Amino acid sequence: MADTTVVGRRYSLLRERLSHDIERFRRFAAVLIKNRLAFAGIAIIVLFSVISFGAPLLVGPYPTQLQRTDDNLPPSSAHWLGTDWEGFDLLTLLVYGGQISLIIGFSASIVAMVLGTAVGVFGGFYGGITDLILARMTDFFLVIPWLPFVLVLVIILTPSLPTIILAIAIVSWPSTARVIRSQVLTVKERQFIERSRAIGARQGFIVRKHIIPNVMPLVWAEAVLTVSNSVFTEAFLSFFGLGASGPDVIKSWGVLVNESYVHLALVQGHWWYFGPPGFFITVVVLGFAMLGYGLEEIMNPALKRR
Amino acid sequence: MNFRRYLLRKTVYVIITIFFIASLNFLLFQVIAGDPTYVLLPRGCGTSNVTGECPLRAALIHEWALDQPLIVRFATYLRNVFSGNLGTSITYQTGVPVATIIAPRLWTTLILVGVATATTMWLGIILGRISGWRRGRPADVIITLSTLFGYSMPSFWVSLLLIFSLSVTIRIFPVYWDFGAYARMDLLSTVLDYMWHLILPVATFVITNVAWFSLTLRNSLTDVLPEDYMITARAKGLSQSQQLRWHALPNARLPLVTASALYFGWVVSGAIVIEIVFTIQGLGQLTWEATTAFDFPLLSGIFLIATIGVVVANAVADILYMFLDPRVREA
Repeated sequence: MADTTVVGRRYSLLRERLSHDIERFRRFAAVLIKNRLAFAGIAIIVLFSVISFGAPLLVGPYPTQLQRTDDNLPPSSAHWLGTDWEGFDLLTLLVYGGQISLIIGFSASIVAMVLGTAVGVFGGFYGGITDLILARMTDFFLVIPWLPFVLVLVIILTPSLPTIILAIAIVSWPSTARVIRSQVLTVKERQFIERSRAIGARQGFIVRKHIIPNVMPLVWAEAVLTVSNSVFTEAFLSFFGLGASGPDVIKSWGVLVNESYVHLALVQGHWWYFGPPGFFITVVVLGFAMLGYGLEEIMNPALKRR
Repeated sequence: MNFRRYLLRKTVYVIITIFFIASLNFLLFQVIAGDPTYVLLPRGCGTSNVTGECPLRAALIHEWALDQPLIVRFATYLRNVFSGNLGTSITYQTGVPVATIIAPRLWTTLILVGVATATTMWLGIILGRISGWRRGRPADVIITLSTLFGYSMPSFWVSLLLIFSLSVTIRIFPVYWDFGAYARMDLLSTVLDYMWHLILPVATFVITNVAWFSLTLRNSLTDVLPEDYMITARAKGLSQSQQLRWHALPNARLPLVTASALYFGWVVSGAIVIEIVFTIQGLGQLTWEATTAFDFPLLSGIFLIATIGVVVANAVADILYMFLDPRVREA
């Protein structure tokens, strides 16, 4: 009898905690949906994620060498977007291509966020010589033109999925570090930090319990914008022939455009080859950018009047 | 005078940055990239070797001083870079100094980038003025959305679309740019032909980059328009265009200069891709060729030149900002 009351109490506590979180999320979702920019961005992201990762249901398994037909066929009822230079159905490749673009976009963004947030928080919070060195380093990496840098990185590290993600992260972290640093600088001056220090909290505790939770919303907005940039950068790398490749690697949208270009689809007028993948890249990049700007607007209402 | 001290500080800053860029370059290409002889002599020297040794590789390593300690190689590298010696191409044009290959290409790229930036800025200011003045109205919505869409398009794709529609389907513009033909042409037809070929690349540039300037001007106009002096201007009875030209624009223009700082990094990246698709024989196409040939010294030279160019352009923009803003200039 006594046991059940304890269990019941624990359960109701859990429900109470959860309901608080659910309520908070519900309120955030309501604000998010009200922001037209963010909502349109989410709609695009969800649509393309569903298409790309639901590819096996939509167009069947990823084509193997056995499924090859005649190459460079124009659109027909059998192949809605024609076939590529090897004789694979282009619609199938197009639908699958988003997987690689999105996976690279998300992974590179995560790595860049960890790097950028760490540099921003350390520099901003500890100040002094640490900040000076980290801020100068950020400025230095910010000024290097991104495309030559990322090309050089991928060539030197030899192109593969992990090295592409790493290279994109290396060119993406500085802008995050700068944004996070300036946010840390303002949070650091707030009174509750001083109070926390007054009751004897250690530096590490303040960073973990007060600084990081307060910059997290901004990190999320930055992360979404970085996904947008990463998808964009991956497309450029692939166009340079430095995309992830191999017999069992799914071709990304950038790789499709590269192959169409290399195999002279342009001169032959095969618009169905290079047109759709480029359009998908554009829309996905735009979708993440819209959600990112929308989130920034929500986090920082001062931007709204712009 | 403060301005002179600022100039001096900026120059020192640029020199230090160039030093770090050279160091990064050394780190990437000489330390991380590993042994360049592997690119040049693939699969055991290229000749069958019974003992497994490779005298040719050993000779190359000695000749290129790769057996020296890193710190000595770093010092040699820095001395070479600062005296203008960027190394020798190993696969693209074997034995030719990198600087000799890059120099003529640099001009082509500078002309493209110069014309394209001027056009983008001009159009960006026009569009930004319209949408800033009519904030929230249909004209603003259309301009903002379409420039953002253009900004999200990869420039290689825009190039492909433009060539496909205006050079392949409707044959108005040329598909291929034959730089060799200029040797046979007189000056006037060279200039005309050059401009004719530049139209589509510049259009690509404008489409993908105009948002930098139009959105920046729009936002800074939004900040300026509620100011008291704008109300005064209206109360004086100035027409809309007079208010805009005499009071709003001079104040809203400054952030454009700051925006151009980040823009230079994009210019270089955009130019590389545009040059490839439009077969323009500039640095961008050279980057593509060096990439496919795995010519590390050439690639390293291009990277160095491009990065230094961006750093210098940024410093010039900063100094220009100082010059344009009377508050900063006289402080």
